[in-house]
Amino acid sequence: MNGDGTVYARRLRKCYGDRVVLGSIDLDVRSGEIVCIIGPSGSGKSTLLRCIDGLEEVDRGILRVNGEDLGFVETDTAYRALSRKEMAMQRTRIGMVFQQFNLFPNMTARENVMAGPVLVKGVAKKAAASRADSLLADVGLAGHGDHYPWQLSGGQKQRVAIARALAMDPSVMLFDEPTSALDPERVGEVLAVMKGLAERGMTMLVATHEMGFAKEVADTVLFMDGGLVVEQGPPTAVLGNPTEARTQKFLEKVL
Amino acid sequence: MDATDKPRLYRRGPLEYAAWAVCVLVAGGLAHTLVTNENYQWNVVGQYFTAPTILEGLRLTIVLTILAMLFGGILGMVIAVMRASTVRPVQLLASGYITFFRGTPVLVQLIFWFNIAALYPNIAVGIPFTGISHAVDVNVLMSATTAAIIGLSLNEAAYLAEIIRGGFASVDKGQIEAADSLGMSSRKKLFRVIIPQAMPTVVPATGNQMIGMFKETSLVSVLGVAELLQSTQLIYARTYQTIPLLIVACLWYLIMTLALSYPQSLIEKRYSLVRSRVSREAPVDPVPMDGEAR
Repeated sequence: MNGDGTVYARRLRKCYGDRVVLGSIDLDVRSGEIVCIIGPSGSGKSTLLRCIDGLEEVDRGILRVNGEDLGFVETDTAYRALSRKEMAMQRTRIGMVFQQFNLFPNMTARENVMAGPVLVKGVAKKAAASRADSLLADVGLAGHGDHYPWQLSGGQKQRVAIARALAMDPSVMLFDEPTSALDPERVGEVLAVMKGLAERGMTMLVATHEMGFAKEVADTVLFMDGGLVVEQGPPTAVLGNPTEARTQKFLEKVL
Repeated sequence: MDATDKPRLYRRGPLEYAAWAVCVLVAGGLAHTLVTNENYQWNVVGQYFTAPTILEGLRLTIVLTILAMLFGGILGMVIAVMRASTVRPVQLLASGYITFFRGTPVLVQLIFWFNIAALYPNIAVGIPFTGISHAVDVNVLMSATTAAIIGLSLNEAAYLAEIIRGGFASVDKGQIEAADSLGMSSRKKLFRVIIPQAMPTVVPATGNQMIGMFKETSLVSVLGVAELLQSTQLIYARTYQTIPLLIVACLWYLIMTLALSYPQSLIEKRYSLVRSRVSREAPVDPVPMDGEAR
């Protein structure tokens, strides 16, 4: 494990021009906690995850991942940006799984999983390859190492993407609507892999529309709307007995 | 005959018949004049077709094409990367280069490089503060062939830079995000993720540029470089057999272009296959997901 696996945010704010995408977000994610983020599209759940992975620039507020300020170092008067290299180091401890998989199409499944360890950490190819094969086996894709992404189904691609992220030994895993681009009958296989990961104590933040998954696996459910966390708590409370009107309205439509 | 076995005869429009008629007429007329008009002097064409001077010119044309594409490709790649940089001045430098070299005629650029000595008669190469320096006479340095290679390469670099930039733009943004997310350095991202994926768009277009460059080299004849065209000019200046010698040059240009077209079509086929595979990479689920639909 690299880092303590926590995510901490205070009054996190992000705008695109005049449009506020994240109003003022507070987060306290413990190590090993499973957080499911639900909400209508455009509510800011993807943006929040992308900020935590450093793919989006944060305008204001505190954001600490693994106990470190992400991409910045705090001085007396401001946050000073880290060098690209230092930022990349932080990112190796955070795994991201994208809605559209974003596998490298010029590489086989095995090479995709090896990419991080070999190209970033300088792990020897042979060691990385055998590690990649065992990671692929873990996600139920033993024997698919030589297949290119175009030869795999959506569900298989997403599982390769999960293995690719895990190859870096991250202490926080972020899932940005991991099943939204899949055929309905492929959703289960990806969720099963995620469940297994949750049981092994990985810190996970999952933006999802899968209410069943949230109910079963999440420790905490965040309901976001309009760039704000409207309601949060254990799934029994947020999903079973929501107190906010907006949450109730959203769940009525979805469930 | 059983009705299910009868062939279906589709209508051909009258336009198609007319087009065939025109085609036959033109081809016939052309063949007639080529054969009967003695001014073509086909025997002279045959006599010079493989003359040593011509073959030497052809060789130089091939060498110029390869060198211009090679240097142009390397420089074009550098400029394309600069153009894609997030650092504004670097970006501006690259677009300035592209604007200048695409905005002025190659012919003018070639003559300009040939006469660069008028602008900078001497260049001195030296190590600052040590007093060690070596001056070179630019007039000697800039031979016609050197000017030709420099001119063609620099011009081609601008066009290739634009092609490579287009290739970069064709790479999905998600690919860069995935690489960033793994913590990949800019260099690894460029060489392992972006460039391999840009190739399917870049390679076929570069092949086309090469075919173009093969003919573009004829421009350097104005500098007196004895490439294919200049070689024929050297002969007909002496013998006044202008037309047959130009035919010799044309035939060689045609043969070489056709020879390049074949591998080009193979490359295009191969890369269009790669492209179609890559585009299948992100299938969009036709079934909208629960919350998203409303």
